[in-house]
Amino acid sequence: MFLSSVTNLYAIIISVVAAAGAILFAWYRIRLTGGITSIIKELKTNKTSRIESGESKIPNELSGAINDRFDDNSNYIAQLQKQIKDLQMQVRLSQGQKRNTEAIIYGIRDAVIVVDEFDKLLMANEAAGKLFNFDYKNSQHKPVSELLGGENAGTGKNEFVNFLCHSREGKVRHIRREIEFSNEGRPGIFDCIVSCVYGEQERVCGVVAVLHDITREKEVSQLKTDFVNHVSHELKTPLASISAYSEMLVDGEANDEQTRKEFYAVIQSQAERLNRLIEDILNTSRIESGLIKIEKKPVSLTILIEQQLQMIRGYAEEKDIKIIGQKPIVFDQVYADKDMISQVIVNLLSNAVKYTPRGGTIKIGTEVDETAGLARVSITDTGVGIPKDEIEHVFDKFYRVDANKKQAKGTGLGLNLVKQIVEKAHNGRVFVTSEPGVGSTFGFELPLATAETVNA
Amino acid sequence: MAEGKVLVADDEIHIIHVVTIKLRNNGYEVISAEDGVKAFALACAEKPDIIVTDYQMPGMTGLELVRKLRQNETTKNIPVIMLTARGFAVEDKEQEELEISELLSKPFSPKELLRSIEDILYQRQVTRNK
Repeated sequence: MFLSSVTNLYAIIISVVAAAGAILFAWYRIRLTGGITSIIKELKTNKTSRIESGESKIPNELSGAINDRFDDNSNYIAQLQKQIKDLQMQVRLSQGQKRNTEAIIYGIRDAVIVVDEFDKLLMANEAAGKLFNFDYKNSQHKPVSELLGGENAGTGKNEFVNFLCHSREGKVRHIRREIEFSNEGRPGIFDCIVSCVYGEQERVCGVVAVLHDITREKEVSQLKTDFVNHVSHELKTPLASISAYSEMLVDGEANDEQTRKEFYAVIQSQAERLNRLIEDILNTSRIESGLIKIEKKPVSLTILIEQQLQMIRGYAEEKDIKIIGQKPIVFDQVYADKDMISQVIVNLLSNAVKYTPRGGTIKIGTEVDETAGLARVSITDTGVGIPKDEIEHVFDKFYRVDANKKQAKGTGLGLNLVKQIVEKAHNGRVFVTSEPGVGSTFGFELPLATAETVNA
Repeated sequence: MAEGKVLVADDEIHIIHVVTIKLRNNGYEVISAEDGVKAFALACAEKPDIIVTDYQMPGMTGLELVRKLRQNETTKNIPVIMLTARGFAVEDKEQEELEISELLSKPFSPKELLRSIEDILYQRQVTRNK
């Protein structure tokens, strides 16, 4: 709209300058010739009458008249020169404005397309050229239907061309529509805003279209929706049990002491589940947003693993699962937040126990790669394993392997938290290998503590 | 005391447990399944009077289960109550199309569930007697 107005203004000023110049020149010619003609006429009249009357003042009067005329004409010329200077100044100003507008449009990251009243291109910026794959600098006056649309352009781009042309035909002041079409080979969603430019008598003399890429915004919005849906589902599940069992107790549906105790136990376990879930969500969110305080110092992985094993051993024994420990390492210190890495180890160990059938084995391995400056921990189980097509998603937030959901309860946040802690908070790396029916190996690598950090 | 056989399908064992106690205390026979596949097999074999199913279950979702039930001659007329922890998970059109008698949001009240089961079975009895 702005560009078009400036372009129009520029055209109008040029026309005005040309017209005004022509008028002033003509006017000057008329005045000049008119003046000289009248002097000659006067001269003739005076000469005749004064010769007849015997007077001889003609030369002085003529001289005065001519001087007066020349004075007048000099003033006209001076005025004209001033007006021409003013107009030249205005032309320079409007040219400067045009350049500014072009610089703004070329600098905009959104695609901008300006078409005339015949749907032919007037101007486009680089983003538009990239989006529609055309030479944006040398395509003026080409029909937009050929330039932006066509058989090979795809449905979305043709929809945009139709939208642009119909908006002009419908004399729509401002209109917007979300249109999907591919952007450099990837599917994209664009917020297309079209504004008509009006000339004299409300005649539409062009259209300006701005296409804003909202693909990422849409993705983020979808992620937020999915997150809220997942969280609400995960929160409501334990809440449903707590609520139902409480109601049953209140209504006296638990007939004996044993049943009542059973109900209390369910309520307690589901409340703990709810608390764990909230903690996991908060921790994931804190790490993602960078708000969590990370207190790094040199810590021994061997010691951390031993501590976490004490917590998990009872659970493993219940399922008759054998845990084969790590080999002692002389130097295995990593520069890490002790509590966070403990959380990583306990999450991996408890997952291994959860998904390993009764009588299985869990093997913990630690190794140091001094050349790479890394310490590596791996936890291998003889569990149910993960199907090949699902393995790449196991660290995704709320992802749970469909086939293993019956094996154990989970929120789908534990492994995501492991990944966040290792990779985001410690610049490490998580890894997983698995074979369905045989078992899985989950692990992580962390940078070794350097001499400087150990002595710090 | 009411009479009737109810199939409860949910992957949350505690939900199956609490619904089972509530319904048995009120005279119903209860059979249960922890996933959609088992629930469908049980529905075909046991022909329950009504099915209470969760929306989200591993293997086969509640909606897929109902779709399969409606395509099967033996089970197509069994009324279904669906429990869901996801807001707006089932659209009105889907509910109508699959003839889902009632949608109950989790957390739900066992009392309310019992009332719904009684109402639906009563309505069916009335329709049959006409």
